[in-house]
Amino acid sequence: MSTKEFKPLPAQPAPVSTVGPVAWVRENLFSSKFNIIATILIVFALASVLPGTIDWLFISANWSGTTEAACVKDGACWVFIRAWSKQIFYGSYPSGELWRVNLCLFLLVVIIALSFILPARLRNRVAVPLFLLLPFISLVILNGRLIGLEYVSTDKWGGFSLDIMIAAASMIIAFPLSFLWALGRRSNMPFARSVSVTCIEFFRGTPILALFFMGSVMLPLFFPQGVTVDKLLRVWIILVLFMSAYMAEVFRSGFQAIPQGQYEAADSIGLGYWQKTMLIIFPQVVKISMPNILATFVMVFKNTVFLLVIAVPEMLQIVMTALSNSNWLGGHAAEGYLFVGFIFWICCFSMSMMADKIEKILDTDKRD
Amino acid sequence: MFYRKTTEQIKAATRPSSVGAKAFYNNPKYRGWIYQALLLIFLLAFFFGIISNTLDNMAAQGIKSGFRFLETSVGFDVLMSLIPFDTTDTYARIFLVGFLNTVLVSLIGIFFATILGFIFGIAYFSQNWLIKKISIVYVETFRNIPVILQVLFWYSAVLATLPSAKDSLQIGDSIFLNIRGLYLPKLIDESGSSIVYISIVLAIIAVFVLRHWAKKRQALTGQQFPLLKASLGILFGLPLLALLVTGVPFHFDYPVLKGFNFTGGTNIIPELISLSIALSVYTGAFIAEAVRAGDQSVPKGQTEAARSIGLKEGRIMSLIIVPQSMRVIAPMLNSEYQSLVKNSTVATAIGYPELFTVFAGSALNQVGQAIEMMFMTLAVYFVLNMLISCIMNLFNRSVAITSR
Amino acid sequence: MSENVNSDQDNASSVISINQLNKWYGDFHVLKDINLQVAKGERIVICGPSGSGKSTLIRCINRLEEFQRGSLIVDGVEMIEDVKNIEAIRREVGMVFQHFNLFPHLSILDNLTLGPIWVQKKPKAEAEATAMRYLERVKIPDQANKFPGQLSGGQQQRVAIARSLCINPKIMLFDEPTSALDPEMIKEVLDVMVELAEEGMTMLCVTHEMGFAKKVADRVIFMDAGEIVEQNTPKEFFDNPQVDRTQKFLEQILAH
Ligand SMILES: Nc1ncnc2c1ncn2[C@@H]1O[C@H](COP(=O)(O)OP(=O)(O)O)[C@@H](O)[C@H]1O
Ligand SMILES: [Mg+2]
Repeated sequence: MSTKEFKPLPAQPAPVSTVGPVAWVRENLFSSKFNIIATILIVFALASVLPGTIDWLFISANWSGTTEAACVKDGACWVFIRAWSKQIFYGSYPSGELWRVNLCLFLLVVIIALSFILPARLRNRVAVPLFLLLPFISLVILNGRLIGLEYVSTDKWGGFSLDIMIAAASMIIAFPLSFLWALGRRSNMPFARSVSVTCIEFFRGTPILALFFMGSVMLPLFFPQGVTVDKLLRVWIILVLFMSAYMAEVFRSGFQAIPQGQYEAADSIGLGYWQKTMLIIFPQVVKISMPNILATFVMVFKNTVFLLVIAVPEMLQIVMTALSNSNWLGGHAAEGYLFVGFIFWICCFSMSMMADKIEKILDTDKRD
Repeated sequence: MFYRKTTEQIKAATRPSSVGAKAFYNNPKYRGWIYQALLLIFLLAFFFGIISNTLDNMAAQGIKSGFRFLETSVGFDVLMSLIPFDTTDTYARIFLVGFLNTVLVSLIGIFFATILGFIFGIAYFSQNWLIKKISIVYVETFRNIPVILQVLFWYSAVLATLPSAKDSLQIGDSIFLNIRGLYLPKLIDESGSSIVYISIVLAIIAVFVLRHWAKKRQALTGQQFPLLKASLGILFGLPLLALLVTGVPFHFDYPVLKGFNFTGGTNIIPELISLSIALSVYTGAFIAEAVRAGDQSVPKGQTEAARSIGLKEGRIMSLIIVPQSMRVIAPMLNSEYQSLVKNSTVATAIGYPELFTVFAGSALNQVGQAIEMMFMTLAVYFVLNMLISCIMNLFNRSVAITSR
Repeated sequence: MSENVNSDQDNASSVISINQLNKWYGDFHVLKDINLQVAKGERIVICGPSGSGKSTLIRCINRLEEFQRGSLIVDGVEMIEDVKNIEAIRREVGMVFQHFNLFPHLSILDNLTLGPIWVQKKPKAEAEATAMRYLERVKIPDQANKFPGQLSGGQQQRVAIARSLCINPKIMLFDEPTSALDPEMIKEVLDVMVELAEEGMTMLCVTHEMGFAKKVADRVIFMDAGEIVEQNTPKEFFDNPQVDRTQKFLEQILAH
């Protein structure tokens, strides 16, 4: 029996008209009449807007100096940001004590890093308790009275560091609370369920601004006469409740994604309700909810700016104050808002990217 | 849930009492009741504390209670109102003014956010690399910047730099844009204009009738009818015809520069413009994201199968892709619309007199009855959100036929 | 080099005529100089290792993929960049996919009547009558009002076959119609396909069901690395493969 040997034909290069930069341009920019017109219009629009914008932002912008008088060129006056940068990041926290704010931020970063680096067992034993303690440690450090440092009242805290810290502190406390609400919502105890549902729906249905307003005008009425609760603390309570409502819904969909088999397996090895929930279900729920948890955090982080309406000196509030300062009346609203927008954009965008990445990893996990 | 409950009950009922489960608090059923009783006691104590504190505080500060204040007169004016309003009007009326302004900005926001969202959401799938990139840049830029910042940016960094009335930017001789806002010609009815309005209503009814007829005819004979073209023809044609027959029973009241300001026409204040832009652009970014997710949720095989049975591209869109992606998009739209209504409260930062600013802000400042006024304000947002939910559910049912 | 056993038919009598077809995905040469003539009523089975370009080839036939060089004529209509031509060809060619691709938002009956109503412009009652006829042929008339998600894989694939038949195609393409199915469901789908073959439908079928190939195929085509390595009658193909690559493939596939 004679057999022929199979020699594959050599692969030929694709016709030049279908590969290479020319083909790319034709396919991605000029593939149809509509696309040709669109491309031309877009290029034209970009060409007429971009050079001016770049010039204003960078080339003829004023970078150095300390007073408004330094802004002589007709581009952006970044000197404005520079002159106010300390307040923008730290509020009116005393200059000599800034290390305390930095220390708190550093601790936050360290604990986040720890929870990624540590092996799973240590993570639960070390990172989680540290996380839960962090808001209170930070309070003590920032306030200073308890540990014999200079006392700094909360109305001096402010700027971007306040945005970060209050968002993080709310997240940390909201975590256990929201889990409880989510459990309540899916429990089969009718009263507990309706209480959870009411809490969740109330805080989700109310505009955050209204909640802040209530925190500033209504909450004081709820405390016994003579007791005054610090404004920042009230705001913190509000943010925790607000965030818990959203996170509870995140956890709820996380619970729904856990296969029934997991519960049955946990039951079958004889675990009790809390053992089952904390050892088997909770870790899985947190894992699959991670992208949505991040998204909720981004939302709350963006919402910290709303604090300006009740005169909490967070970053935007400080920029607005600076804009009305009598030494800076030359109209720097664009610079101020662009800068704040840029800072928030960097933070939120990178967190959204991270959420997307985690989602992709989880997706591939699921596949095998 | 139901299933779990019943098994639990069965377990509770059939568990042999000799396995150390004698103590009644070990019975899951009773245990549940104990938990709930504890919760109830806690809540009762909590609310009792709050209420008694509140009453004490209100008494101490001399704050009245009840809704009598609604009938007293306000004593301040508002920047903009859709109904006649002056300083002697009551708090009830300013509540209505605020409510209408909230509804107005929500409707404008929802309208433009939907358009922006769908345009940029669909643009993501464009073959044109530039269009695709612009869609990505739009979404990633605007959804990651706080909406209140966007409002302030448009208000004080853009609109506040517009020229004064004398040097207005203008389109033709009738549309002017300056630091006081946008001036548009105002449509004034003359006698006979009602015929034109009636013709518009008739045209809408005619389109529905036509649609029904075309469906029926296609079911009977298989013939297809160019419904879109015919509908557009009727919608524009019929009112146009009515216009011509009645001899155009309208005229425009044009804005005219008198001294330092414009008179006549309609003025759209910069607060409303910047709030509308910010809300539309911000929510539009989220809607674009939803549209993108919806389109991606339809597997490629669906298009291929539809092509293989010979459907045209437009029909594949309307019969296969849209109904399936709407099932993903509609719930997201619902929650984005609700967020938009809630976010309209950022008007406070620039002073656009919507409900929250005007009632929970200015009015509350004067009256001081925080509880009643907050309650009224929040009730409006809950009702509006419920309304949106209902409408979206109806929409969902009509567009996205559900299957299992 | 490719072996053309049945190439004595001239292009004129063939219902599909593929000449020197070449296709690239970017720089990757997927289909190399493909020549294939299919006569009316002919049943062809295409096999070959995964990634050899089988799917790509049959997807070119109803323009789910475009190609860069060569020519393709389906039932006298040349495949060119022209909407009218493409539509005309798609009306003549039905296709069955590995993953069924039923429309999940439509009932079984609506899945089937979609083509007749919107493509062939038939009245609804007539379309439904046709649909029921085909559902009976694939032996699931009782499932007409269910939704795809409620059916088993084998039932779904039979619905998919019925759906393509509803537009009354001259040619049917199958892309691994049974490889997503559990063993006991494969038979019910193959039975339908055998019946279809016996009625004289022109069929191009990518499959590794060798029993099916032996039973109904007029010709078996073996592809590798984007080319047609060998084609022959089933008997010759299985008993007396000519090329070493084919032998190796058959050894692997028939090993167990
Ligand atoms: N859309 C695509 N883009 C790039 N490469 C593709 C694409 N589709 C298929 N290929 C590649 O083309 C080759 C042939 O694919 P296919 O025709 O699906 O093979 P099979 O014979 O298994 O059906 C494979 O190597 C595959 O990786
Ligand atoms: Mg394949």
